Amino acid sequence: MPNKTIAGIVATLKRELSRMKSRPLYFLATVGVMAFCYLFFLTFFSPGQPTAMPTGVVDLDHSSISRKFIRNLNATQQSKVVMYLNSHTEARKEMQKGNIYAFVEIKPGFAADVLSNRRPKMTFYVNDAYLIAGSLLYKDITYMSALTSASMQQQVLQAKGVSQSQIMGQIQPVTLDTHLIGNPWANYGVYLINLLLPGVLQLMVLLMTIFPIGVELKERTSREWLRSADNSMAVALIGKLLPYTIIFTIVGIIGNVLLYQFMHYPAQAGIGWMFLATFIYVLAYQAIGIFIIGLLPVLRDGVAMAALYGLFAFTFAGFTFPIEHMPPATQIFSELFPIRDYFRIYVNQALHGTSISYSCIYYVIMLVFLLLPLPVYNRLKKAAIYLHYPTK
Amino acid sequence: MTKTRHKIFSLYQLISNIKDTKQILIQEFRNVFRDRGVVIIFIIASLVYPILYCSIYKNEVLVDVPVAVVDASHSKQSAELLRHIDATRDIKITYGFSSMDEARKAFDARKVHGIIYIPADFNKNIASGKQATVSIYCDMSSFLYYRSLLMASNYCTLDLSKQIQVERLNVAGVTGEAAEIIASPIPYDDVTLYNGGMGFASFLMPVLLILFLHQTLFFGIGMLAGTAREENRFHVLVNQSNPHVGIYRIVFGKSLCYFLLYLCISFYTLDVIPRLYNLPHIGNPTDILTLIVPFLFATIFFSMTVSVFVRNRETGMALFLFFSLILIFLSGISWPQANIHGFWRAFSWIFPATHGIQAYVKINTMGATIREASFEYISLWIQTGVYFLTATWAYYWQMHKSRRKAELLKTA
Repeated sequence: MPNKTIAGIVATLKRELSRMKSRPLYFLATVGVMAFCYLFFLTFFSPGQPTAMPTGVVDLDHSSISRKFIRNLNATQQSKVVMYLNSHTEARKEMQKGNIYAFVEIKPGFAADVLSNRRPKMTFYVNDAYLIAGSLLYKDITYMSALTSASMQQQVLQAKGVSQSQIMGQIQPVTLDTHLIGNPWANYGVYLINLLLPGVLQLMVLLMTIFPIGVELKERTSREWLRSADNSMAVALIGKLLPYTIIFTIVGIIGNVLLYQFMHYPAQAGIGWMFLATFIYVLAYQAIGIFIIGLLPVLRDGVAMAALYGLFAFTFAGFTFPIEHMPPATQIFSELFPIRDYFRIYVNQALHGTSISYSCIYYVIMLVFLLLPLPVYNRLKKAAIYLHYPTK
Repeated sequence: MTKTRHKIFSLYQLISNIKDTKQILIQEFRNVFRDRGVVIIFIIASLVYPILYCSIYKNEVLVDVPVAVVDASHSKQSAELLRHIDATRDIKITYGFSSMDEARKAFDARKVHGIIYIPADFNKNIASGKQATVSIYCDMSSFLYYRSLLMASNYCTLDLSKQIQVERLNVAGVTGEAAEIIASPIPYDDVTLYNGGMGFASFLMPVLLILFLHQTLFFGIGMLAGTAREENRFHVLVNQSNPHVGIYRIVFGKSLCYFLLYLCISFYTLDVIPRLYNLPHIGNPTDILTLIVPFLFATIFFSMTVSVFVRNRETGMALFLFFSLILIFLSGISWPQANIHGFWRAFSWIFPATHGIQAYVKINTMGATIREASFEYISLWIQTGVYFLTATWAYYWQMHKSRRKAELLKTA
């Protein structure tokens, strides 16, 4: 590299660092926001799964069988009986108030019906407007209902003189043995934080690529910026964005360390691949940021574009609702987001621990995004020199 | 005599106050529509975001998640079980492998999102009256894959279990009603309320709809404040051009402009969109309107308060955009509110979005009345009051600053 280029980069870098020191915004939008998010998400999801969720009981029987069922339900990890209600209507009202997420209804004469073989029904209601609470409670209450039924069955079979090993075969002839690959605890933190944090990271990388460039155009200082880089746009961009590359890579890698070392989230194929992914991920989003501000060299429009595009990342990563189950047009659209590739690398390397050969292609795709500044290179340079775009 | 004069005087004042407020209101409408950035946020984003997100999440549930099978038992029962699982809406068996290694390879290549393994002794165990096992391996990269495979295989194994139980009892000479009684002495009924299909959009979209209102208002008001400060020669929020106009009139007049605009947008977002995309909408429209009034005012005054700290048009967006995500989780619809850590729950009460989302879901999705949502409703009015005071105080502070700078300039 010729000395002149290096001198240009150093001069631009120094200029940018002094600009960064001049306003608290720069520190807040790089380190501040990410630190807040680390603190927020790691404490917010710290139990892994919601436990002891409020459940109600409408016990109109008050028998030993119904009381035993309620005790057992209370003993499960996810439900906690917090309310005894007198009627279905009352229970529904409590559900609508959000005080309970599910309730079980035991009709009068329940125990008598059980003992006289009239097969009384037990009914439970879960609120699936709260999808997570609803699904988890559904699982717990179904399990307890089946268990109650099974224990009755066991008593009958024992009385008939059936041996213990045969009883298990009779009560539950086929069992299901469930393995959750990579996340055996079904931990919501593992599931969500692994993508939420990179999601916030890309948002901040985008904004803090567009903002430092756009603000030069807006405040009409872009010529000065170019001059410090010896009138080379490439040098000007490198010098300006290098501090952000370094800061965001460090912040991102701190995130990796927090998740995989400190929280012991699964990183089956080693943490190194995630470090590499994080670094390329930051670069890819910086390239997209340059592309956006180059395409729309007005700070306001650039920021608005970044907001629109950046917020879609959470949808198009594909970890909440899988991409292949979305309408076909959206599936193609999802390929325009490097977070999609980051997600695939994360699944392969951290969650499933597969061979790196499955993930190589996604590192390459993220690198392809680095070509994006090329088509807007001249446009951005002209905008910086002629300042022929509106400033607000 | 003095009393009537006083009355007439205050009537005059009232009329002039209303006139002032009206003037500020009209002026603010002009500010909004003259500014392309604000129009993009207030109007375009508000209209387009709901449509985009509703279209993306149009498929509420996963259908036919591809799954591989390793059937080492090759028996009639295993084939029947697999046929049943394949027939569910959730699962489609796309590959049959002879070993787990092959299945794992397909899984690693993400061709399938789960593996069902039936061991060699499956059939033997069933025949000899022992317990047989079916193993499933779930892809945890999205919990929706996991739920699909778990629910489908759980349902089908339970069904097979029941069938085998009855068959065995029949062989032992217990038939009909008596066999049913032994097989399931206490049957149960499960009822999923308010989102019967366990749909993802029905769960998430009501949250997002309220959030769109909250966030577009917040960023739009922030941008207007940023512009005002940039154009003002003292770089303060309130221009002291007319010292006779009181602070309450300014705050109220401006907020009324946003309120009227957003009343129309709320009608589109909360009434037209749920109907158009068939999202849950079983709430009483009057109750929703009752709720939306304090929600909008609280959000407006909250945004006006925070906007004092926004120095440029774009800084508010750059700094607080990520917070939209935080607000989703703070709302307590996905991670249940009862399980949110005390500190974060208290923190969540700062934002009108939390109460707005909770109350809207209760009324709109769960068919509650405003009475069941009274906690949120009252909280929103309290927020309205508190943030009105903070907004006026903040504007007063800015006006004071402006006046002082002007005086300094004069003396200099």
